[in-house]
Amino acid sequence: MRRRDFVRAMVAAAAAPKMLLAQTANPAPPLAAPVPWTLGLNAATPLPKTQVADVVAQADLRFFTPTQMATLERLSDVLVPPFGDKPGAVAAETPAFLDFLVGSSPADRRHMYQDGLDWLDAEAKKRFSVPFAQLEATQADQILQPWMRTWMSDHPPTEAHADFINIAHADIRTATVNSKAWSDAPASRAQESTPVGLYWHPIEPDIYAQEPIRMRSIPRRAGKAAF
Amino acid sequence: MTKEPVDILIIGSGHAGGMAAKILTEKGISCLMLNAGPVVDVARDAKQEPAYALPFRGFKPPGRLAHVFQSNEFNANVWVDEEEVPYTFDPANPYNWVRVRLFGGRSLFWSRQSFRLSDYEFKAKSRDGFGEDWPINLADLAPYYSRAEEIFQVSGSTDGIPQYPDGNFIPDDIPWSSSMLRFQEAGKRVGIPVCRGRRAHGRDGLASSVNLLLPDAFATGKLEALENVVVRELTTDKQTGLANGAHFVDRLTRREMSVKARVVVLAAGTLESTRLLMNSKIANSSGVLGHYLMDQIYGVGVTCSVPEARGGKATAELMGGAGVVPRFRNITTKSDKFLRGYALNVTSHIGSLEPRNFAAYGAELQKKLDLYYGSAFYMTIMGEVLGRYENHVRINKDVVDAWGIPALHIETKYTDNEHNMARDAVDTCVAVAESSGFEVLSKNTEPNPPGYSIHEVGTCRMGNDPKHSVLNKWNQSHDIKNLFVVDGSGFTSAGWQNPTLTILALSMRASEYLAEQMRQKNV
Repeated sequence: MRRRDFVRAMVAAAAAPKMLLAQTANPAPPLAAPVPWTLGLNAATPLPKTQVADVVAQADLRFFTPTQMATLERLSDVLVPPFGDKPGAVAAETPAFLDFLVGSSPADRRHMYQDGLDWLDAEAKKRFSVPFAQLEATQADQILQPWMRTWMSDHPPTEAHADFINIAHADIRTATVNSKAWSDAPASRAQESTPVGLYWHPIEPDIYAQEPIRMRSIPRRAGKAAF
Repeated sequence: MTKEPVDILIIGSGHAGGMAAKILTEKGISCLMLNAGPVVDVARDAKQEPAYALPFRGFKPPGRLAHVFQSNEFNANVWVDEEEVPYTFDPANPYNWVRVRLFGGRSLFWSRQSFRLSDYEFKAKSRDGFGEDWPINLADLAPYYSRAEEIFQVSGSTDGIPQYPDGNFIPDDIPWSSSMLRFQEAGKRVGIPVCRGRRAHGRDGLASSVNLLLPDAFATGKLEALENVVVRELTTDKQTGLANGAHFVDRLTRREMSVKARVVVLAAGTLESTRLLMNSKIANSSGVLGHYLMDQIYGVGVTCSVPEARGGKATAELMGGAGVVPRFRNITTKSDKFLRGYALNVTSHIGSLEPRNFAAYGAELQKKLDLYYGSAFYMTIMGEVLGRYENHVRINKDVVDAWGIPALHIETKYTDNEHNMARDAVDTCVAVAESSGFEVLSKNTEPNPPGYSIHEVGTCRMGNDPKHSVLNKWNQSHDIKNLFVVDGSGFTSAGWQNPTLTILALSMRASEYLAEQMRQKNV
């Protein structure tokens, strides 16, 4: 039986006795025995309302060093500052989210961010004798603006430094626009909206993926073609 | 218990398999369809969500689907997972194999552009000497194109351009916006036609095998289907060499099973069909199985702004609408830089422009986004990739998928022909845009990796000569007369056109031929 049909059957089984009871003048008392665990849940059951964790909880920082995180905080604030009613990247907790996203990413992406943040800090110290985290906006602009490029989808710049600056800018902006804080604030003029889309759950996922050839251990009868 | 063989075993449920099932069952022939993935039910499997409610705020889940540029967190679970069904390639020449194994396959998700090939594609070798001609021409396929256009409710206009054959269209007579008209006028000055696109509207918002083809097949009572069965190999009769069924594994339980059939119709999608033939070690007396892998170059283009639409002055009269520039190179003149040609999708857009179109950030960027809102004009390429013997796939015995089935190794790369075409496209777009008075904001001459267009074709090509082709002009194996391959793998050349309509027409034509051959007891 398909899972969908199975659920329907269980819901029907749960509903049927109630309907019969409703037509009875003197309903029988409830069963003294424990209620079977599948009974009760049905389409009318109210669903608990849940919150997005970012709104109420503090994320543990696991990936960037404290210096890299401070650089990323300043970079995020410079690239995506608050504008009108919309929060900036810092208020949207984008740096903490990127610590999670980048830290979970393949090695080339992790290294690009680590090297890029280290390079920004070194540039700030070389040119202004302070860490990037302490730069004024105009000082940060002198480092960042020369590397800003225009580019088309799937083709970010590949030139050293321009790659990091432009990809980080896109990530910081997307993570901010896609945050609940941004979504909750009213937009003005051409400010982007937080995307709302059809999210696909895993569709009958393969729960045996980790044991791919378990059936091959069963000996095959003679006469069958081997494979 | 031994089961009776089914009349026809159809492997795959997308446009190719769906059309075969519809045609064959309507002729009264019993079919069994096998599909590697589950039936998808949008009410059960999907729901509307804001990006902030997803674990990765809408970003593609890290480390997954590295070669599916089309994926994001919303749709990540509809694509084939690259770890579950791996494939290999030389890191210097990456390949984007974009797959869907849900029931209905990639027919559930496609751009709906529905073009006929012309004799500039079917008989390309006769014109420029490269490759091979198809064993059929437009006149052979035209009646089937017409019927497929009817089923898929394709809209378009009659243009009378030989390289952009007209069809059985729902008339598209929406007025052009004035930005499109300006581009059209500028194109005319340099001999570039700008036409209406051709688009499958389908029914109820969907143009898929699952709603336009399979319901008719099921209604005959002649179609049975299995979900979640991964075909391991096709089987053949040792005496006759004919195909006699398939051996498969249940995707979830790993139970091994087999089915016998009188005829096998392979429609698993270009590279999966070829992989299955290779793993079955059949249908390759020509030695060209797996060779001549083609697709189209995508990702090349130009983004512009229409100055008059800036500053909140975009109106529906000025902006909006889309068109197609059908191939115009190597039609009446000859390029010395490349063979064949490319088409362009042209779109006038009244919404926002992407931030990456401006080398700015912060308040300065927001000022630009506000100013340029509603003024976007996009041009993107669809360019023909030449069929080359060396662009091929083979079985990699060292790598297996989640069911122990050997994986495919894909070895293909673009050549000067494709790169020169890409540069010509961008130069041409920039020239026509500037002649239209548009400002060019960004451009890209580097094609996305091969495969990205999801238009992979070839590797099992059709031809009249059994020594140089895998299939005959009826999509029938030269080697095994009761084996038909009806998906894009049979293409002899790629053209610039989205292949779906041609796959539908070829599958319809092959299936009618098969039904007649069965009636005459030739198969």
